[in-house]
Amino acid sequence: MEIPPANVTQTESPGAENRTASVAEGIALRRVLEPKSRLLPEMLGEELWRVAGAEQVDLSKAEFAEALETIGASDNYGLDPGKRANERQREMFWRALHLEELAIARGCAQGSEAAWRRFLAQYREQLTRAAVEMTGSAALGEELASALYSELFGLTEREGRRWSPLLRYSGRGSLMGWLRAILAQRRVNQYRKIGRETELGEIEPAAAVSEQIEPQQLEDLRVALKMTLSEASAEERFLLSAYYLDQHTLHEMSRVLRVHEATISRKLKRATERLRKQLLRTLRARGLSRRAAEEALGTDPRDVDINVRRLLQKSEGDPISSQEGEG
Amino acid sequence: MNRNFQPGIHPDADQLSVFVEGAATAREQERMLAHLAECVGCRKAAFLMQPHEETQRATATPAKGWMWRRLLLPVGLPAAALACGLIAVLIYIRPHGGTPGTPQQIASVRQPEIERPGTTVAPTTKSERAPSTNSEQVARYSFAQNATATNLSRQENPIASGLNLPVLKNEQATANVAPQTTVAASSGSAPTADAARAQSAISSARIPDLRLNGRNVANLQQLQPADTKGAASQNRLARKKELPGLEIERARTKDETLAGVSGRIRDRSGAIIAGVTVTLRDAAGKTRQTTAGADGSFRLTELPAGQYELTATASGFRTSKQLVELKPRQLAVLQPVLDMGAVSETVDVDAASGATSVETESASLGGQVVAGMPSMRPVIAVPSGLPVAKTVSHGKRFLSLDDAGNLFLSRNEGKKWKKIKPQWVGKAVRIELTPAFITEAPPKPKNETSGAASEGEVFLLTTDAGAVWTSKDGAHWRQQ
Repeated sequence: MEIPPANVTQTESPGAENRTASVAEGIALRRVLEPKSRLLPEMLGEELWRVAGAEQVDLSKAEFAEALETIGASDNYGLDPGKRANERQREMFWRALHLEELAIARGCAQGSEAAWRRFLAQYREQLTRAAVEMTGSAALGEELASALYSELFGLTEREGRRWSPLLRYSGRGSLMGWLRAILAQRRVNQYRKIGRETELGEIEPAAAVSEQIEPQQLEDLRVALKMTLSEASAEERFLLSAYYLDQHTLHEMSRVLRVHEATISRKLKRATERLRKQLLRTLRARGLSRRAAEEALGTDPRDVDINVRRLLQKSEGDPISSQEGEG
Repeated sequence: MNRNFQPGIHPDADQLSVFVEGAATAREQERMLAHLAECVGCRKAAFLMQPHEETQRATATPAKGWMWRRLLLPVGLPAAALACGLIAVLIYIRPHGGTPGTPQQIASVRQPEIERPGTTVAPTTKSERAPSTNSEQVARYSFAQNATATNLSRQENPIASGLNLPVLKNEQATANVAPQTTVAASSGSAPTADAARAQSAISSARIPDLRLNGRNVANLQQLQPADTKGAASQNRLARKKELPGLEIERARTKDETLAGVSGRIRDRSGAIIAGVTVTLRDAAGKTRQTTAGADGSFRLTELPAGQYELTATASGFRTSKQLVELKPRQLAVLQPVLDMGAVSETVDVDAASGATSVETESASLGGQVVAGMPSMRPVIAVPSGLPVAKTVSHGKRFLSLDDAGNLFLSRNEGKKWKKIKPQWVGKAVRIELTPAFITEAPPKPKNETSGAASEGEVFLLTTDAGAVWTSKDGAHWRQQ
């Protein structure tokens, strides 16, 4: 992964200490914050420690409380930056965490044998299965899972200390979800490294577009597209990218966004219509006649989609393709 | 998401999993979507980390009682498979073999009219039966009915009454009759078959070894014309007397009496005329009206069979009138041509006569393609220069497959062709236009008036490897 190293600023966490992550891991930097004062009431801390079964994974109350406070401060207790969480909000945030899984993750990161036994029993098989699913090959999947597993085990050292990515797990999502996300990121990295040439080869040459459209019209269209896309909402841009660039199905998209696929279809249709109208308006504002503007979009309304896709893939500075960096 | 996404900064696994699991706050969700829209890698990861649906289902299943399921699985699955098989056989038998009640019902209102030689009731024993085939099963099922009922129901056309098959052409009907008759003859049971059956049995009994192991079917079908004629002549009297019964039977299945008409209206130059008012008037003067769409096409369905007068009216054109005779379960496809001027023109068309301007199809097929009519299809030349194996069209879009398996798309009715880059492995061997069952329909802009296949119809492509690909517009294909 060739991501330029960068620090993420975090203003609302006084006294925080940066923990830098390796760029090659492809995971964003994350500051692990250590709060100055204890915000977790002792009673609540003990209750959560018991609920999490942290004792069985050799985590002391203090260690677990520290983990909870670190996570809370890091995510500002689920509030927008700048807002201060009150006691009630903090409690709600902590109680909503996957405490048991968090305890296992922290226990494993600390090298607790009991924690590893539980991790192996609960996640090892699932981890391998997920990796095989993602790679589509038993050999590749096992290789991917083993590599991650050894890394989780803490074979890497950082600042002279054994370090495990499990420290990054916040408990806000499930541990299995987190493991799947890491696997997916690594798989994407692998794929990009191996398949870069193939991927480029698969992109249709832009000459096909210029065959149909004059160079000036193409330029107008590109500018109009850029303007139109910049005005689209984040969700619309995501839907357009996922559907037209990545060719995901409505069903797949509905699973990621956790809504019904009919909703996705409706939103996508609305976005496409809006995009077309806006493009026509922008093109006409650039001096094109209505006919010329429509020709620029393609004689058939459906061709707009094709043009958008091709142009997006070809254009250098547009917002979607500029950051094809890392997953 | 408190951490800001900056160029080169990407969400970590924790943030991704929180987003994908729906645990993110509204702000985090918004920021993540904005990042995913721009970042191919993260988008790929977000989709890739979705568990497969089977896995999801498996993990969602409660662990309680798993031992019982494990123990019951070896027994339960075969039992379920067996049950499914039985249901499938029953479903198969019902339309082909007729419901047990139907022949008996008919039998109860009629008396046997004609005594025919060679149709005496004989007890059937299993040992005498020929090896089992599907046709035989049908026959055996019918013979298992009350003997009188069997006799009576089989005096009528077995398609319409006894076996409750859809109304088919004579050739098909007799082809179905033949195996059953043979079974009766070869088994020696011959339980009071009707005249047609008896005649078939008699004639087919002359052929040695008539057991239906699937080997004699062809021979029997070859014999059908003679058999059918014999059956028809001998049955004439019986048919006359049983007509009321037949009508009752047909009236029960209302759908089978309905027909439809569709088509596309053009002018003499072949250009499509939009917005033409199409009126269909039956003999009683009752009218049905529709307006042709932007692509000149119109469609009127659920029409009772009968003779109609079809009138196509458009301003600036002569009114065109056609007489159309619609048969049950048939969809007449017409191509009215309007001339400039104000004088009306009348053309008589009989949907059942096989006239060149009319193509009759099964109404159950739904939207069929005009290109399916060889006599009406224009000569299509694709850029490859090879002969065109098949062309299907919808609206202005024509999709052609040449002999080499190359696929070509035209968005302007064949004036200009573009080769479709195959995404499939192997050679495309078949293309067709079928009704879609869609959940995966790509959204279509509202203001689209022509071009791609309409909602509910897709282009379907089959490769030599058997893979099926679908496309709404003929240009973008997805494997099914």
